[in-house]
Amino acid sequence: MTTPTAINETELVTRAQNGERNAFSELVCIHAQGVLNVIYRMCGDVHIAEDAAQETFIQAWSHLSSYQPQTSLRNWLYRIAVNAATDILRKEKRILPNALEDLQLKDPQPGPEALFFQQERTSLVQKAVLSLPDACRAVLVLREYEGMSYHEIADALDIPVGTVMSRLNYARSLLRNRLERQLLRVEAENV
Amino acid sequence: MSKHMTEWLNAYLDGELRGLRLHDVEAHLEECRACQEELQSLRGLSVLLQEVPVPGFISPERLAAQVNLRLPHQQTATPRKRILEIGWWMIPVGLLATWIFINTSFLVSDILSAASNLGLLTSISDWLFISSSGEAYWSSTLGQFGFLSGNSLDWIASTEAFTRTSIPQITFQASIALLYLSWIAIWWVRRRHQVHGKLLEG
Repeated sequence: MTTPTAINETELVTRAQNGERNAFSELVCIHAQGVLNVIYRMCGDVHIAEDAAQETFIQAWSHLSSYQPQTSLRNWLYRIAVNAATDILRKEKRILPNALEDLQLKDPQPGPEALFFQQERTSLVQKAVLSLPDACRAVLVLREYEGMSYHEIADALDIPVGTVMSRLNYARSLLRNRLERQLLRVEAENV
Repeated sequence: MSKHMTEWLNAYLDGELRGLRLHDVEAHLEECRACQEELQSLRGLSVLLQEVPVPGFISPERLAAQVNLRLPHQQTATPRKRILEIGWWMIPVGLLATWIFINTSFLVSDILSAASNLGLLTSISDWLFISSSGEAYWSSTLGQFGFLSGNSLDWIASTEAFTRTSIPQITFQASIALLYLSWIAIWWVRRRHQVHGKLLEG
């Protein structure tokens, strides 16, 4: 069934395709958070994620005429976002998370040691994700952080569902190997 | 115990399995400790990944405003413009197809004529060249009436044969080449205009 949001979005797309900037701005507002999240998970830097998100929406505007309203706008935008993030990573020769202070550290209860350990762990996980091959990382990000189904990921990345499965298996297997080794080492250092 | 199902555990964890496959995996998991541990490990990884928080980004409204400032002034293509654009790019394709068709026709015609002259197509030449039977060379008519004879008749006949076969070919080729060059010239002017427009926007 078509939801009111979907109807509204379709209408906004049609208006944007006719050149209405306000309609496009509304679409940007709807999808900004998702696009920013995907790019940030892909590159690990807030400022670059924001720049790449802008690029994503500008490219979307430029190619809006080729977008078919019966398909998912979110998936289409995510495809552009993943490509934008991959391009930036290629240009910048890999960005490592250098601003861990950006990460939320909201829980006031843990003591300094626990906080340090938590920070270290988060840093390791993020680095491990960023060290994955781009194609595998894109699938992992869309699945783990955006909660997309295999079919949605296949649609967004324009790859077969079987490829989604194999890339996800490979990404998780690589991550487990790397993290098990590194987290064990960190735990040993903190004992 | 059946074979391990590690390759399906990711899909099982993600709720992507249905029907018989789901049933098989669930049945296997009930009795296989190794696969249970593998699944647990995958769940643990998922939890670990969720621990990495997202930082605070700029608000969607601010992003939308920034994007709006950077949007190209040119409107995106309407469906009518899109059709015109597709039509525009179909012109060289059409020209190329026409060129290939005409050249192939001439080639086939030449081959058939040569074969006919060599007597290889005696059985089918009657209906194959039926159209040419009605065409009388005017040089031979002139020869019949005695206006031309000897070398001059041969020369006129060969000239006429040349003009009948080659002139149409040359005319077709030149027309297509001219149309193609015109298309390239218009494309170049349009492109230059667009680049100039972008520079002005920048």
